Amino acid sequence: MEIMRLVVTGPVGAGKSTFIRSVSEIEVVDTDRRATDEALLIKKRTTVAFDFGRLQFGPDMALHLYGTPGQSRFDFMWDILIQKAHAYILLVAAHRPHEFREARRIMMFMKQRSPVPMIIGLTHTDCPGAWDAANIALALGYPNPSRRPPVVTVNANETASVAQAVIALVQHTWSGSLAATS
Amino acid sequence: MTVTGYLADFSLPELFQLLEQGNKTGLLTICTLADTKTAERYNHHIWFSQGQIVAAGNTLDQRGLMGLIARRGWMGDNAVSRLAQTCQINTPLGLCLKNQGVLTAEQLKLLFYTQVMRQVCALFALPDGWFQFDPKAPTPRAEMTGLIATATDVTLAGLRALKDWAALDEKLPAPTSALVSVIEGKPNLRLNPNEWQVWEFTNGTMAVADVAKQLNLPVAKVQQIAFRLIVTGLAEEMPLMAAPPPSSLALDDAPELEPSIASGKTAGAAPVSASFLQNLVGFLKSKV
Ligand SMILES: Nc1nc2c(ncn2[C@@H]2O[C@H](COP(=O)(O)OP(=O)(O)O)[C@@H](O)[C@H]2O)c(=O)[nH]1
Ligand SMILES: [Mg+2]
Repeated sequence: MEIMRLVVTGPVGAGKSTFIRSVSEIEVVDTDRRATDEALLIKKRTTVAFDFGRLQFGPDMALHLYGTPGQSRFDFMWDILIQKAHAYILLVAAHRPHEFREARRIMMFMKQRSPVPMIIGLTHTDCPGAWDAANIALALGYPNPSRRPPVVTVNANETASVAQAVIALVQHTWSGSLAATS
Repeated sequence: MTVTGYLADFSLPELFQLLEQGNKTGLLTICTLADTKTAERYNHHIWFSQGQIVAAGNTLDQRGLMGLIARRGWMGDNAVSRLAQTCQINTPLGLCLKNQGVLTAEQLKLLFYTQVMRQVCALFALPDGWFQFDPKAPTPRAEMTGLIATATDVTLAGLRALKDWAALDEKLPAPTSALVSVIEGKPNLRLNPNEWQVWEFTNGTMAVADVAKQLNLPVAKVQQIAFRLIVTGLAEEMPLMAAPPPSSLALDDAPELEPSIASGKTAGAAPVSASFLQNLVGFLKSKV
């Protein structure tokens, strides 16, 4: 089984659980519900709740999505998830400037623990008071537009939008290999 | 697009940092929330040009600076008005008056201090307020002395003078977080001795609480200093790993667990194949 692991992180309420649920909804093959599920196992062995979603798109190919736990902060559980991730997306609710600093903290922690690529997903851009991408990037500490991770807009409630965000993350992470083979 | 919100959510130091780093030009308006006793609200205006503060005032009638000059007794209201009309359209009023020999450089400095430094620094004490930044507002020549202040300098001054930090509590770096420098070399800002001391620890390893112990300063004070270093673009808060896994959680004794994730120590994820990537993207595209 070939597995890609993506971590979905961000402040509480950003849309992590919804995002992951939206991908799990498009799970096509549910071949394997046995206890080999790594996420279930970790869950069983710890009391930490984290979101897990799976998208199986071939007999031996699956995408696993992990949401960073909301109630614990920056602990070993986060670290286990990050260390195993191929890439991650930081979700930020565009209409909640209150959370921008927390998003920045999370980003600093992630960067410190893992060098893998990341993108920023702006959720709640359809809500009143939403800031635009350029200003949120500034608030997250990226004054230079040419030197920041890709910023995409995503509505965690919409499967199509989440699929688009995952594509963006995959393409950003593997731009080399995807370009070479397609 | 405009930037709007409440200071309780996005604080004035953060806002100044954003406007400075974004090289913004326009008008920042802060509307205080209705006072429970008097039900009065006040507007404060701060004009930015390319990320720097060029003027401040309480009205948009373009008569604030003239009023300040008149109040100093340097010139009557009418006299200033008349002279102002002879100024070139693009010249700040203060500079124009200086060029005409009516005001000295010292007087301009004093005006700027009263208009910008004193008024704006006082705003850091606001517990809340609604703000809006309008990037389309015209440049207020009649309110400008011609002098400028960097948002960073104003923030430093405002936060150094701040007595009650309650409103900023959530914004301060956690005592368990470290600080990490985000600049090359040493800061160009004029830091005070305590700020320098804390600056020496911006290497991403020592928790703020330990820095406080080391420096023999209260933790809250170090948090406040750290916040100043953060919002002036010198450092960033770096959350440190919380406690190590409880020994009961021996993840690697789970044979059924996929080996790579079970051994929490080995870093990195196994590479995925090109066909995997193509299949995945193809599948996702069918969902879009
Ligand atoms: N309007 C809107 N609601 C969203 C969006 N993304 C997520 N939500 C909602 O935000 C709420 C919080 O999401 P949740 O997934 O629980 O956030 P979490 O704490 O990060 O796991 C839920 O009610 C979602 O339906 C979005 O883009 N637009
Ligand atoms: Mg959740």
